[in-house]
Amino acid sequence: MTRVVGETAMTSISNQLQAYFQTQTCAMPEIGLLQPADPFLDTAGEDLRRRIFITTENGGKSLCLRPEFTIPVCLKHLQSGSEQGQYAYCGSVFRQRRDDAQEFTQAGMEDFGAQDKEAADLHILKHAVSALKSVGETDLKLVLGDQAIFATVLEALAIPEAWRKKLIRSFGDGELLGESLERISNGAEDRFAALPSDIRAKLECGDREAVSGWLADEMVKAGLPLTGSRTPTAISDRLFEKFELASEKLDSSQRKSLEAFLAIDVPLVDASDALAEFEAHNGIIMNGCKEALATLSDGLSGKGLVAMRYRAGFGRRLDYYTGFVFELYRSGMDKPVAGGGRYDQLMTLLGARLKIPAVGFSIWVDRLSETGK
Amino acid sequence: MSFTFAIPSKGRLKEQALAMFEQAGLFLEIPSDARSYQGSLKNIPGIDGKVSVAFLSASEIARELAAGNLHAGITGEDLAREGTAEPDAALEFVVSLGFGHANVVIAVPEAWVDVDSMSDLDDVAAEFRARHGRRLRIATKYWNLTQRFFADHGIAVYRIVESLGATEAAPSAGQADAIVDITSTGSTLKANGLKILSDGIMLKSQANLIISKMAKFSDRDRKITQELRLAMDKVLVD
Repeated sequence: MTRVVGETAMTSISNQLQAYFQTQTCAMPEIGLLQPADPFLDTAGEDLRRRIFITTENGGKSLCLRPEFTIPVCLKHLQSGSEQGQYAYCGSVFRQRRDDAQEFTQAGMEDFGAQDKEAADLHILKHAVSALKSVGETDLKLVLGDQAIFATVLEALAIPEAWRKKLIRSFGDGELLGESLERISNGAEDRFAALPSDIRAKLECGDREAVSGWLADEMVKAGLPLTGSRTPTAISDRLFEKFELASEKLDSSQRKSLEAFLAIDVPLVDASDALAEFEAHNGIIMNGCKEALATLSDGLSGKGLVAMRYRAGFGRRLDYYTGFVFELYRSGMDKPVAGGGRYDQLMTLLGARLKIPAVGFSIWVDRLSETGK
Repeated sequence: MSFTFAIPSKGRLKEQALAMFEQAGLFLEIPSDARSYQGSLKNIPGIDGKVSVAFLSASEIARELAAGNLHAGITGEDLAREGTAEPDAALEFVVSLGFGHANVVIAVPEAWVDVDSMSDLDDVAAEFRARHGRRLRIATKYWNLTQRFFADHGIAVYRIVESLGATEAAPSAGQADAIVDITSTGSTLKANGLKILSDGIMLKSQANLIISKMAKFSDRDRKITQELRLAMDKVLVD
């Protein structure tokens, strides 16, 4: 699919972005077009398979056309063995899309290993705005959300851990989150009736050893391996967790509080006040949240954005995204021209032994060349 | 391209499809040469001449319908929905034929006493990596059906292990943690220590008369399709 704007314009935008990155002392590693598919499928999940171009080597190894840069850049960083690093990239990526070009250009930056996360978040956001400005995008709106704030709210409201995990996983998808809330508001059905009565009794009196011992016997009888997949202990632990929650349900005041939080959608300058109001109204304290938003708001005040909003329910449903996420829009366009956020889990998923904080952004370069103004 | 129609080339699907034609009063001429994979339907009301019928494997019928290389065919809904990325855009499921019943289900070890529903499986999948050092593995030959069903339930973090036979043995062989497979009575699953999740029936499949939305139809082709549909409907009502 060819675009209205010619390749020359695209190349010129790409060159300008690369020039911007070069002034920022970022490393720009070579990232091959053909990438091993497993790191992408292991991190984003099997669902990604339908959206990327996969091919198989003669030896049977799955390769894919580079669907994005972040994961290959993370892998380069891990190979380098260094603790900290700032990287940038610009080039073609490939995705299976029906209504859009399947090859398009992405440019972006990644910042790994910065221990002051608030500063790093602000830093990367400023870079995203500056990079866009360097190619003439001045009419920009910012939307941001923060999963870490949602996690803090859940904890402050004393939601049980098993539910917290489930709700955090649905964060960013209003419909799914609504379903999860509905489910825990209704209480669980009694799904323990199928257990033998003596095991049910062990469950009630909290005898974990008896339950996992029984499970081990059952697994041996069924010919299931006791290691390598879910172990008797893992199953037993979750059974107890579920059993303890079976008699509970989310009470309506907790649900109302959560819904009130998720409905917060305010200019970023008012976000701290909105959270303060929420805290006061619910009699809770959320450490660090107001301050984090204030840092972003103050830090960005001189960047000339035409609008900045904080949306409490805005997030990405990928399990390695852990904190703040943002999107930048050109006024009057409904698709973002850039997006990014914090993904502190990604390096761990890719095999890092130590936790490596990571934050970055990506620009949809093709959208910059679309005539909008 | 003259009208092309296909039915399964072997097994119970073939026998039952043939029985259905007979009940419908359609005469399917099968060449005496047993190696031939081409027959023809005569005496379709209002249609001059014969309509050729290809005997193909059931999954090939699904694929060729989606590609528009066949006008119509009889095959399992499971295979048809599996065989193409967007089945409802490519295929018209005209009528369920009342045979070839099989459910595509997600099954987990019975020993997973904490897992009854897709919501439970979502919890398990989310923590699998942290607990066991790898993603949850699902053995199946139904890549598309599994991906769609899991996506509908908001589950992304798992891996599919391709399994082209004896899928129900994959968990005990240590190749996978759970499976997606077809079952008609559930007895094979039970014999392998597996249970179907309470909301784990992904598709209630049976043989269908399917028309390709991708093929080009002449007036005669349309007429033939209409007559086939009427003939099947009539058998089902009787």
